[in-house]
Amino acid sequence: MGIKKVGLNRNIKPQSLAEKVFFLDFMKGLKTTIKHLFRKVITVDFPYEVVEPAPRFRGVHGLRNVDGTEKNDFNAWVKKLKIKPPEKGETRCIACKFCQAACPVPEIFVIKAEKLDVPKDHPHHGLKVLTQFDMDLGKCMFCGLCTLACPTICIIHTDIYDISTYTRRGWILNKEQLSQIADDFIARRGKEKYDEKSEWPDYQKIWNDADTARAKAWDNNPPQFGPNYADQN
Amino acid sequence: MPWISEEKLNRLQEKFSFIKILDNPQAPVIEVPKENLIDFLKFLKEDPDYQFKMFIDWTVIDHGKKADPRFQGVLILMSPKSWERVIIKVWATDERLPSLITLWKGAKWAEREAWDMFGIKFDGHDNLVRMFLWETYPYHPLRKDFPVRGYEEVELPSLNETERFDQLEGTMNYSRKHTALPTLEDLEITQKARMPNKKSQMVLNWGPLHPGTHGTIWFLFDMEGEYIKDCDIIIGQLHRGVEKLAENLNVQQIIPYTDRMDYIAAINENHSVCIAAEKLLGIHEKIPEKAKYIRTMMAELSRINSHLLWLGTYALDLGALTMFLYTFREREKLMDIFEGITGARFTINYFRVGGVYADLPYGALDAIEHFIKDLPQRINEYETLLTRNRIWLKRNVDVCIIPEKDVYQYGLTGAVARASGVPYDLRKIDKYDAYGEVEFDIPVGEKGDSYDRYLVRMEEMRQSIRIVEQCIAKLRKFSKNDPFFYEPEDRRMKITIDGRGTKLKKGEVYAGADNPRGELGVYIYMPKDGIKPYRFRLRSGAFYNLQVFTKAIIGRPLADAITLLSTIDPVVGETDR
Repeated sequence: MGIKKVGLNRNIKPQSLAEKVFFLDFMKGLKTTIKHLFRKVITVDFPYEVVEPAPRFRGVHGLRNVDGTEKNDFNAWVKKLKIKPPEKGETRCIACKFCQAACPVPEIFVIKAEKLDVPKDHPHHGLKVLTQFDMDLGKCMFCGLCTLACPTICIIHTDIYDISTYTRRGWILNKEQLSQIADDFIARRGKEKYDEKSEWPDYQKIWNDADTARAKAWDNNPPQFGPNYADQN
Repeated sequence: MPWISEEKLNRLQEKFSFIKILDNPQAPVIEVPKENLIDFLKFLKEDPDYQFKMFIDWTVIDHGKKADPRFQGVLILMSPKSWERVIIKVWATDERLPSLITLWKGAKWAEREAWDMFGIKFDGHDNLVRMFLWETYPYHPLRKDFPVRGYEEVELPSLNETERFDQLEGTMNYSRKHTALPTLEDLEITQKARMPNKKSQMVLNWGPLHPGTHGTIWFLFDMEGEYIKDCDIIIGQLHRGVEKLAENLNVQQIIPYTDRMDYIAAINENHSVCIAAEKLLGIHEKIPEKAKYIRTMMAELSRINSHLLWLGTYALDLGALTMFLYTFREREKLMDIFEGITGARFTINYFRVGGVYADLPYGALDAIEHFIKDLPQRINEYETLLTRNRIWLKRNVDVCIIPEKDVYQYGLTGAVARASGVPYDLRKIDKYDAYGEVEFDIPVGEKGDSYDRYLVRMEEMRQSIRIVEQCIAKLRKFSKNDPFFYEPEDRRMKITIDGRGTKLKKGEVYAGADNPRGELGVYIYMPKDGIKPYRFRLRSGAFYNLQVFTKAIIGRPLADAITLLSTIDPVVGETDR
């Protein structure tokens, strides 16, 4: 086994007499701190300056609507769970409750789907529609298991992290609120995070490199991004 | 695999006719009758061929109300001679077990925890009081008949604040009832029970809410002037019952809970659980290479992150504020990297049993490379400020020496063990993930004083940089289409990224990872195949490391308590679980 021995007198020399008398240890330390005095400021001035969260950031949840970027097996899932085929702008949720099954705290979710009240000859007879989708974010730990379980990429994480409210009621989001959050997020940053089949593409960046606030936090010397692997471009 | 060899087991069987070697594919298990336990352990500890003198863990399994005998003790020992482990089991008839404090001092807290959680009495223990809960608490929560939600018996209206009365209706409302809470009288009884005999002039309370304790630890110092004569620690203010919660979840769902244990190094906590579950399933060697390297790299970055926080707060406690600002600047970059790769800055939940949940995003390796290139120079800067500074030397050299024999006695792991001269590092012994394929050295101290612990951690950061560099070079050679998650060939085995339906196999295993705060071992016991682990024991490195505080501080002035606590570096989330 490779062992490296450390200790005073082993890899660290004790203070010499000259160092003790002339306070050389303090001088050396002060040299470092004085050097830092003339560096550029790196403090991000929150809330006047905000660092944009990474595309993968796990913030407040959203429920995506049908917008033509569904996965190929979306219609198969809709058929399988006997859901009324959603039109454009309606929710992608098929009430499969996989998110609830994957969740470590299942009582976060209240999901209900009801059969449509239509006559027998109507094409949607016997099909269900999502009527309730409530999430209690006060109990959520943002682990991301629900988003991985979702077969239609309906429930997603957005980049919103500020969820403070005055009462616990404010943490309970319903279907409409969640859809609104997701729509806003997709309009804002959907292209960065998802490809045209709602999967995470391999051009998804670790973070937006045009973000000046983040560059500041990186000593005004942010990294230049390139591909990770040999066959990536 | 560092388990006791077949040949040694057979010789033990020949010598002791009363022991039974259980058939378990993952690890050898020896069952010993209760009457012969102490003699057998004495032999294991002292025989020159065996020398299982390092204490790892001592816990209890509850086999359910119908089983007779109901409880079983589980002892895990390590031999520093051959770096082999052994599991010893003993049935606790009449809910009693013999105490091991005559053999290992570290058993003291382990037995108090077992009494607290299971209600097992230990014959011969000098002060068997509760570990986490208060003295007047009536239940033993890890027993199988205790409900997960506890018994909700106290009304606490203050937790149900609403803006305009109770507007919440239906299932999402919060119950007005709460599980039992300690009153001030309960805390007073607890405090008296922890230190029954005052020896000196006065008992000083330090904590639980003191910035120097780095969390909610409550210290009791029995003081003679400025010198500490006796010490005990009350922990448990952050006890959330992760082990109990884990018994009701599937293994992928446990991982986010471990994030909240050692929140400074969340990745390493996840790593331990993944390794233990993979070893139980027998798939640890088959994890895709790419996932192995990603995990190794992330775990080392997390170690750097944790050590940077340690260095900043340690120097801050000893009066050097500048260091805190410098290390947090570097930590900020690391957190950015974590955020981009995993989706969270702090509570990561990136590793999965079977790999990781997503591949690296575009530019991840470049960002890490950029950070790593800069870091050695920064560490040198920190060292110029501290290492040979006369105030730093005065406050650290020869302060609170932990001798080598205490490492075995108390089951110390991590940087604390290495600073005392024991090269105990699971990364070298177990060679989990890609640690067998990368080169690095184990920094080992000489004396075991605070200064050695400081130097060991500084050197560990440099070695971590070496590992990360090698991992990056290796990862660059992979293809973007290489898998990052294990697909089982066996159709009966099911492992999913989101955790639904992930099954564990029958058997028992102890495995762990070398974390910044010591070895976080996970002991999983499964009497049959199933989704939920039957017993999920977390052997916390910080818990056992903190125990040595009560010994190393004796005879030292009060000011050294800060130095010792900072160099032991416990995180309360992990000690309390």
